[in-house]
Amino acid sequence: MLECKDLRKHYAGVYALKGVDFCVQPGEVHALCGENGAGKSTLAKILAGVVTPDEGTVFMDGQPIVLGHPTRARRLGIGIVFQELDLFEHLTVAENMMLGNDGPAWVRRGAMDAFCRPYLRKVGLDISPRALLGDIGIAAAQLVAIARSLSMQAKVLLLDEPTSSLTEEAAERLLALVLQLKQAGTGIAYVSHKMKEIFQIADRVTVLRDGELVSNKPAAETSIEETIRLMVGRAVDLSARIESQPRQEVAFSVRGLCSSRLKEVSFSVRRGEVLGIAGLVGSGRSSLGETLFGLHRWDKGEAACGNRKFHPRHPREAIREGFAYLPEDRRSQGLFLHTSVRHNASSAVLNRLSRAGFVMQGEERRIVADELAQTRTKAAADTLPVSALSGGNQQKVLLAKWLLPHPEVLFLDDPTRGVDVGAKADFYGIIEGLASQGKAIVMASSELLELLRCTHRIMVMNNGRVAGILDTASATQEQIMALAAGHQPAASLS
Amino acid sequence: MKLSPPQWLMRFRSVIGLVAICILAVVFSPRAFDGSIIFLDVSNLTDVLRQQAEIGIIALAMTLVIISGGIDLSVGSLLAFSASLTAMLLVKWAPGYSPAAHMAAAVGIAFAASAVLGAVNGGVISRLGIQPFIMTLATMIGIRGLTRWMTDNSNIDFGFGSDTPARFTTIFSDKILVIGLWVAAAVVFYVLLEYTVFGRYIRAVGENERAAGYTGLPIRRVKAAVYTLCGLAAGVAGVLHAARAHQGNPNDGVAYELDAIAAVVIGGTSLAGGKGSILSTVVGTLIMGILTNVLRLRLIDSNGELMIKAVIIVVAVWMQSARKDKA
Repeated sequence: MLECKDLRKHYAGVYALKGVDFCVQPGEVHALCGENGAGKSTLAKILAGVVTPDEGTVFMDGQPIVLGHPTRARRLGIGIVFQELDLFEHLTVAENMMLGNDGPAWVRRGAMDAFCRPYLRKVGLDISPRALLGDIGIAAAQLVAIARSLSMQAKVLLLDEPTSSLTEEAAERLLALVLQLKQAGTGIAYVSHKMKEIFQIADRVTVLRDGELVSNKPAAETSIEETIRLMVGRAVDLSARIESQPRQEVAFSVRGLCSSRLKEVSFSVRRGEVLGIAGLVGSGRSSLGETLFGLHRWDKGEAACGNRKFHPRHPREAIREGFAYLPEDRRSQGLFLHTSVRHNASSAVLNRLSRAGFVMQGEERRIVADELAQTRTKAAADTLPVSALSGGNQQKVLLAKWLLPHPEVLFLDDPTRGVDVGAKADFYGIIEGLASQGKAIVMASSELLELLRCTHRIMVMNNGRVAGILDTASATQEQIMALAAGHQPAASLS
Repeated sequence: MKLSPPQWLMRFRSVIGLVAICILAVVFSPRAFDGSIIFLDVSNLTDVLRQQAEIGIIALAMTLVIISGGIDLSVGSLLAFSASLTAMLLVKWAPGYSPAAHMAAAVGIAFAASAVLGAVNGGVISRLGIQPFIMTLATMIGIRGLTRWMTDNSNIDFGFGSDTPARFTTIFSDKILVIGLWVAAAVVFYVLLEYTVFGRYIRAVGENERAAGYTGLPIRRVKAAVYTLCGLAAGVAGVLHAARAHQGNPNDGVAYELDAIAAVVIGGTSLAGGKGSILSTVVGTLIMGILTNVLRLRLIDSNGELMIKAVIIVVAVWMQSARKDKA
């Protein structure tokens, strides 16, 4: 029914999709798998009409179609439910559903309610169409988004990680709904990281890696193990491991840390050690870093940096104590995009670069140049705005920014997010170099292979708790994934 | 690194606007009997500077506020407050000091009180997280009320003669002093923004407050400081205003905040925060001043003047954004 041929898309010289074919048949659930950056979301955005492909054609019922605008995609019968729901929490359920639906210019509440009710019933939601979306909870909002697509007569539904923020029970209900829709003849493209889910509902599994199609098989002919292998199977040397050895002294420790998002978190890192943190989005990985950095309050528990008590109430105090936190999202949290590379790099140490309130600009130029060389940042000039750099180089500027305060403990939150393969290798080298200098490093990451490559131990988090701490040398991906999903290892992938 | 022509132009774009408006001013200026261009007469040019000094000084501080991502609507009311307070202290207060000390005390108190009111803006905005537009809209109304209540809603005249109030008006309306104060303030604000840590913090907070938080920057202190400076600047402008108007009028300064904001945006500072410069604000203030001057020399009535100003604001800002897209 919906078919894509040879889709290509590149952003600033980096290919997000390199000739991908994908199709969805009526009454079929076609799962789309791949690591972060494999091209899944680019494909979803193309189908939604948000992004225009550089090359390639999309067919609907055998006819070539031009998307190019969200309204067109909707009219053609393609419904997309994004992971970050495109709904409005201050509007009612019915108002949300009507947006983008062709309706009369005048709002008539009664007619709106009557229009929405059958679709809400179809997705199994028993709520008033007049409830505010913000009040009904994320799981119900997810279903409203699906109901909206159905109300637009979607023949093909693309669900982008629909269960990532749902409880297990809500997720089960959603999967049941997907099967029901499939039986009613809707074609469903299902994007997810959760292998178990995929093999529960999918008829067909497509795997993308680095923007390329690597496999397209009926679910019955493949397995979880094979799919994972295909997802990550790039030319990464799986056997490579960190070589530098941790030292004896404990550099940083946390005991019984509790906050609104964290429950009884305890761990310690030695000098020269890289401690990995694995966990799904929302598992508390980032909350832990932000809390320790003084961005959120913590109610109970204690921490020590070196042999000093550590309880910062503001990032400035954390920095002074020798702790630095490199945030997850460099664009919104890490960098000042329109500001120069130099000023970005020095932004966390300006108080040390000041004499009577004035910035010592010569000194600034010198130390920034040194640090950028250390992190192997490539920039034509450090007076360019940081937005002119590639993702990898931006991330290196961010790293330089947080190395300049000379922290003893460095918390890296997904440091290679949105970074291409070559720059990733650079990062692994830099991280190992920092460890061999004796820094203690905590590194949260969504990529298991990266954690296995770079760390000495891996702490797995689930729902704000420490689910387990494993020795990297003997840890397996299955073990980590099972802990992250909150299962016992034995029951993990069955 | 070599600057390509567009970038080179970009750097001086606001100055180019100023040059263009000067050329237009020369072309459209009426001529005196001897054929000389009245606009270029030294006394006319210095008149422009003196007329713009009050808005100019406020606009300098407003630039910092806007770069930090905020706005200050209370400066017009603050100007009236400062002018009225100065007049009251000079006319109705007889402390028995020497005239010089009396004058210094009156001016000093007016400056300090205005800065304190600015600090109230800054304190509430940074501590309670109230949007700058709303908070300063409230103080714009409130300070106007305070000023009228304080003065019983009446003008306080300085009178003529050789007593302290009259001498105050002579000294503080002196062209050289007024223009000199503006120039000095511009230099101070320029240095503050370009060379100090505080200036860097202002830009950082305005460009991306979230990232500034993750960097550990003192966001609250930065915000409190820019509104305090803005209050102080309005206070200084108020003292000059009282001297020039020869009275303290609690109903003066209405819509001055909008003129100051217009001067800032004509210069090219973005209301979205993070970007802007003192030089461009000075240029923006001059453009407004020259425009007013030429229109008045040609005896175009004030209603026409407002309509032409409106067009200039839109065109100036549109030109800034159009160039930015191309770059």
